[in-house]
Amino acid sequence: MAAIADPDQELVTRVARGDPEAMRALVAAKLPRMMALAGRLLGDPVEAEDVAQETLLRAWKQAPRWAPGKARFDTWLHRVALNLCYDRLRRRREIATDAVPEQVDEGAGPDRGLLARDVGLRVDAALQRLPGRQREAIVLCHYQELGNIEAAGLMGVSVEALESLLSRGRRALRAALADLGPGAEGEGR
Amino acid sequence: MKADRFLTIVEAYGADPARWPEAEREAALAYVAETGAAAEALLAEARALDAGLAGHAAPLPDAAAFTRAFAGAEAALATAPRRQGFRRPGLGWAGFRLDRFRLASGAGLMAAACAGVMFGATLTDRLTADAQADAVLYQSTLSGIDDTEVLG
Repeated sequence: MAAIADPDQELVTRVARGDPEAMRALVAAKLPRMMALAGRLLGDPVEAEDVAQETLLRAWKQAPRWAPGKARFDTWLHRVALNLCYDRLRRRREIATDAVPEQVDEGAGPDRGLLARDVGLRVDAALQRLPGRQREAIVLCHYQELGNIEAAGLMGVSVEALESLLSRGRRALRAALADLGPGAEGEGR
Repeated sequence: MKADRFLTIVEAYGADPARWPEAEREAALAYVAETGAAAEALLAEARALDAGLAGHAAPLPDAAAFTRAFAGAEAALATAPRRQGFRRPGLGWAGFRLDRFRLASGAGLMAAACAGVMFGATLTDRLTADAQADAVLYQSTLSGIDDTEVLG
């Protein structure tokens, strides 16, 4: 099998040699990325930071044994972060009770303008209401911008199954956000 | 590219060609150029959703989160010499003494925890943070997932 090109390889190699500057560069690049992933999957910024920090700690522990060419470092980080998110989601289900409050979608009332914050909250609510696997597919492909083969591999599904999850997820989001229109403000990718 | 495949791609990945499957991107763009308005209508609908999704702000790490991450990384690198022959970065004589103590005791994590007591006020905040992060790192190994799949 051909070796996989990894844009992070040089930095990871330097980290494995104990280079603190490389470590700082990787933290600066990956902490926000892992926090975004966990934040969108868990819907909780505090838990998201916990997951991101633990993911990076495991990365530093593994860095000396990292074998270039087998997988991208970024993909491996996603795998670790996803597993940590799965653990937390599983724990939530285990302690869930009938009294769990539903997330309220306020919709676009007559006096609600399309401020960026409103749009963000609406999208967040819509994302959190998606079935877990659809949300995961959307987060990996749309927000984390992973390739389809990479995302399907991380989710343990075929590319066809991934595309089905993405399509169903986007349909549900389109229905939930139909009133936002193309001119919605907000952050870029 | 056939129409139904283009439809599948746009419904799954949205309007931005950068998100389309790399292997099919060129063919999909050629399809857009060939079919014109029909493809553009599909893209416009997908583009509207993409714009809405772009309004979602992910949580971002604050300065304290970066500080914690740097401290955790330095601590992890600092523990590496015992296992991998790494040099402990930036701790100088204190780091040397700590490493010696760790080697002598054969219990690095305990040593990291005890180091704060032994060296008391002479320890910097940074070294204390290292010891704490060591403990966190140790905890993470106890609940470790199978990281070996893609590792050498």
